[in-house]
Amino acid sequence: MDAESAPQFEQHCRDCVAEGLTGLVVDLGELTYVSSMGLRSFVSVAKTLQDKGGALRLCRLNGLVKQVFEITGLLRIFPVYESVEAALIGG
Amino acid sequence: MESVPGATQSLTMAAHTASLQAAMEFVRKGALEASLPEVRIGELDLLIEEIFMNVCSHAYPDGRQGVVTLTYSIPAPGELSVEVADQGAEFNPLNAAPPDLTLNLESRPVGGLGIFLVKTLASSITYRRDRNWNRLTFGISAGS
Repeated sequence: MDAESAPQFEQHCRDCVAEGLTGLVVDLGELTYVSSMGLRSFVSVAKTLQDKGGALRLCRLNGLVKQVFEITGLLRIFPVYESVEAALIGG
Repeated sequence: MESVPGATQSLTMAAHTASLQAAMEFVRKGALEASLPEVRIGELDLLIEEIFMNVCSHAYPDGRQGVVTLTYSIPAPGELSVEVADQGAEFNPLNAAPPDLTLNLESRPVGGLGIFLVKTLASSITYRRDRNWNRLTFGISAGS
């Protein structure tokens, strides 16, 4: 998820919010790359959901993506789960 | 692929988002020549994106079409040095205040993590103003 694809991800999330969803689970198991532009989108969407009483839940972080979330302290901010199933029933 | 200590390659391109993939591919060639492992190549992509996009966003605020020159060298086997140079307004991104990583979601700013990531992932990083050039040079090594 880079400067080019992050806005598409964010727009997709905002479309979901516009449909009335307040809780989103994002499966990052196949994601191999995220830059600060991607992080910006995650934080922005999470703030929107929190304002609506919901949350952005992440699951299956690994490799460089997990490393980037750790470095930036975002693992402490997002609810993070080991699997999609756990994220769906969690929190 | 065999490491070639001392080898230097340069590429100049438009300071525009559309050039980002070409920038990444160019520097990846250096990573292969330096025999960096796959895990470092992902980090290298991240370093280039953050620095390159920073130049695109800040170097040429007056709207003129500027350029970025990427230069890589291999100081020693398993080590890659990359310089990102532009002729934009004098700007040292390393002076950016570090983000407060202890803030909760409500208080967190949406952005401001790019240069922090660069400082953390690079094994070394320096900035210098050289006449009308901004020159940001970072290192990444197989073991870093």
